[in-house]
Amino acid sequence: MIISSSKPFNEILEMLMDKDAVYIVGCSVCAAKQHVGGEPEVAEMVSLLSDAGVNVIGGVVAKAACSVRSCEYLRELAPNIEDVTAVLVMACGSGTSNIARFVDVDVYPANNTDSLGAMTGDKVIHHLCAMCGQCSIADFGGICPTAQCPKELLNGPCGGSMDGKCEVDPEKDCAWELIYERLERIGRLDLLEEVRDAKDRLVK
Amino acid sequence: MLSTFNDALNSERFIVTAEVAPPKGTDLSATLGDAELIRGLVDAINITDNQRAVMRMSPIAVGKILMDAGHEVIVQLTCRDRNRLVLQSDILAASALGIENLCVMTGDYTTKGDHVGAKAVYDLDSVQLLSLISKMMGGSDMAGNELAGAPSFTVGAVSNTDVTKRMQMLKLKKKINAGARFIQTQAVYDVGSFKDFSDLMDQIGPNVPVLAGIIPLRSAAMAHFMNNNIPGIRVGDEFIMRMENAKDPIQEGLEIAAESIRELRDMCRGIHLMPIGGHDNTQRLLEMAGLYNR
Repeated sequence: MIISSSKPFNEILEMLMDKDAVYIVGCSVCAAKQHVGGEPEVAEMVSLLSDAGVNVIGGVVAKAACSVRSCEYLRELAPNIEDVTAVLVMACGSGTSNIARFVDVDVYPANNTDSLGAMTGDKVIHHLCAMCGQCSIADFGGICPTAQCPKELLNGPCGGSMDGKCEVDPEKDCAWELIYERLERIGRLDLLEEVRDAKDRLVK
Repeated sequence: MLSTFNDALNSERFIVTAEVAPPKGTDLSATLGDAELIRGLVDAINITDNQRAVMRMSPIAVGKILMDAGHEVIVQLTCRDRNRLVLQSDILAASALGIENLCVMTGDYTTKGDHVGAKAVYDLDSVQLLSLISKMMGGSDMAGNELAGAPSFTVGAVSNTDVTKRMQMLKLKKKINAGARFIQTQAVYDVGSFKDFSDLMDQIGPNVPVLAGIIPLRSAAMAHFMNNNIPGIRVGDEFIMRMENAKDPIQEGLEIAAESIRELRDMCRGIHLMPIGGHDNTQRLLEMAGLYNR
């Protein structure tokens, strides 16, 4: 799941302040699940922006902003979307970018896209995958150091963790601590002896 | 004094290295002055690389300048600020300038320093960087292209000394296997637990000299601060009490450091001094530890 968070309302308002007519598009997949782009949030955004004086002429929730496939589909979904001067997308970055392919007006993001993660219940888990295109997660017991260690270290931890917590974020467990515990639990500490080569940093 | 750091590593003598920081700005007088305080007292001066992610002059430039002033130098190289291209070109630059010793480390994260928005690079980790330097010394670059002239270095790495950190110790073993010829440790205040580290080194790198890190305490507050904020450092209650009760905390800190050095002498090949605020007291410390005029 793509983890996103809402931009502060004032930042959104500032983007749209001088727009004549605004349309809002939400997304019923990841963004809806995280309450940053589903039906209730789009409705709330319509009313908040209208109250703040922005001319919002409609709001709709796409099945998945990232799989909207054509202008026609978008027009069908939002018949008057071509009459606007700006579209505000309440989805992740890829959803927003996809919508921008089909409308020839300014497209603004209502959210910041934070990471590729998971949600269990209401608990968001960040940075489970870095989308490196060379998955070797089995070498690390299913815990990806490229995604979870801020230094992306492949051969073990830095010297910066304290009491099992990350140097960069003391609220977070050191990824290498988790990897060690997990591999110990599944009897695969042998995997840690291997020297791991540097990854190709090609963006695929 | 022996001529080079490598000679010292290959000798029987107890080694002393000491850290000097590059300037923030172009004025080298403080850096040169600090190095001057330890001229003839240490086997090599170890020059930090944007330490704690605080921007300073390149340690390669400072290394050349200190060498020209007659000092033996070890240049630190972190993975934080350079991708594999710049790591390699900096390694070649260091070689061209006559620098013979490198000390490789991951590097504190950018948010610890004074440019918190900087891109943290970490294209390679410290094990991969050590392997890369070995490869370059063998005559090829990371991509396998032949080098017109291969560099030659004595390369070291760093480690914490808490053997209960099993993953860190596994990584240390990888560093040794990847070509680390000496290990410089985080500051040691617990000689007993250092003994465990020394025993571990006998197994994983019996021929790799260890330089035990020494930071003289300056106050009880500094001890508390390090305990709470510096990973790998653990100042025990006994030392904290001595610092609290001391009439002259600076002197007491030096005495504690000198005692530690004397106890460490049989457990490691040398010490690495990292005094906070410079080397004003380093000569005194070495005298107290019986290391002056070795």
